[in-house]
Amino acid sequence: MECKLVPSVCSYCGTGCGVLFEVINNKIVGTLPMKTHPVNEGKLCIKGWNLHEHVNSILRLKQPLVKTFGRFMKTDWDEAIQLTADRFKEIIAKHGPDSIGVLVSAKITNEENYLAQKLARAVIGTNNVDHCARL
Amino acid sequence: MKEQIKSWLEQGTVDVFLGYREVDHHPIPWCFTQEAIEEVDDLVVSPARYSLEKIATHMAAEDPDIRIGMLARDCNNRALNVLYVWNQLRPEQVVTVEANCCPSPLKEHADCSYLEPGTVGAYKKAVGIDNHLRLEAVEAYGPEEGRNRWMYEFQKCIKCYGCRNICPVCFCRECSLDHDDLVGTGPLLPDIPIFHLVRAVHMAGRCIDCGLCEDACPMDIPLRLLYQKVNRIAMDLFDYRTGTSGDQPPFSILGDRVTLEPKPIQPVTGAEA
Ligand code: SF4
Ligand code: SF4
Ligand code: SF4
Repeated sequence: MECKLVPSVCSYCGTGCGVLFEVINNKIVGTLPMKTHPVNEGKLCIKGWNLHEHVNSILRLKQPLVKTFGRFMKTDWDEAIQLTADRFKEIIAKHGPDSIGVLVSAKITNEENYLAQKLARAVIGTNNVDHCARL
Repeated sequence: MKEQIKSWLEQGTVDVFLGYREVDHHPIPWCFTQEAIEEVDDLVVSPARYSLEKIATHMAAEDPDIRIGMLARDCNNRALNVLYVWNQLRPEQVVTVEANCCPSPLKEHADCSYLEPGTVGAYKKAVGIDNHLRLEAVEAYGPEEGRNRWMYEFQKCIKCYGCRNICPVCFCRECSLDHDDLVGTGPLLPDIPIFHLVRAVHMAGRCIDCGLCEDACPMDIPLRLLYQKVNRIAMDLFDYRTGTSGDQPPFSILGDRVTLEPKPIQPVTGAEA
């Protein structure tokens, strides 16, 4: 019997509540609020309480999908990123960099948000950056 | 204590021992095993309480024969008694190491580092219910004012189900609170007061007054007082003190026959809330 409580951060919104995943025999069976976490002090909303359900859901996407002839086909990350880069290049060449916008998210870290705007400004060449907190 | 736990693990008295260990300065429940016995040196009696017995029931559901050692405050022990009564764990599969506990009508003289009274705002004091009042003080509000004050508390509920999820003695596979015919499960506000009263009724003869639900309630609803009320009835009518013995509660309709006799009913003196 292997039982562990693994500290983590809720992935649903930008608040960043501390959670503990209850892992029994390598399966996440439950989520608990972390009592000593400074953000949520032992409390969670209904989404946080049910984090383990989306981790275990059969509907969860575990790899990238590419829409080919109107249908989603499974692919790997290398191919998906290459394809996106190629399409971006095509669009930028045809319509200019401002035809692309980057929407970032409260669910990722500050640092990842920073990197995303860097990608938008330095690589794509546009100031069209926005954040879900402003939508 | 650590030597005792180590010897239990070494001799196979228990397969696992549930206690706490600090991870990045956070005390979290930790499952100590014989394979990693050196970890027992890091065992702490955490000031933050978690329902270790609930984790134990989840392990027992995977492996019914598992023997579990557990760090137990008084509330953990009361919860264990209720879990034995309801066949969620077997007394012979659990051994405990005692730790200090929190004050409760079921255990007057005790101290818990965690349940320190927080500050209660003036508005809540004026229109709602101060979580730190004693039950008698809440009952003294009388039926009408009492109802208004409780409704003020209930209407704050965001229906996170945290009170049920964290509760050591809530283990039903199908919970009434998830059942659309009994309690509207969809939108907010939840159906009040029925959402809270359904749970309150279920807590009669079951709630062991650990206060974890109130700790977990994001809206600071005085849930512990609510369940103290229903258990006061169990105490007054049947002389049943939840969690203090392995006796069947007076309200079980399934399983073994109820053997408890009602206590002779005393004339009602105080006002009913
Ligand atoms: S105090 Fe709350 S969490 Fe504890 S047993 Fe009672 S209802 Fe459950
Ligand atoms: S609220 Fe009632 S039905 Fe739901 S888990 Fe608790 S005791 Fe069971
Ligand atoms: S924990 Fe509080 S807010 Fe959440 S469902 Fe229970 S009473 Fe409502």
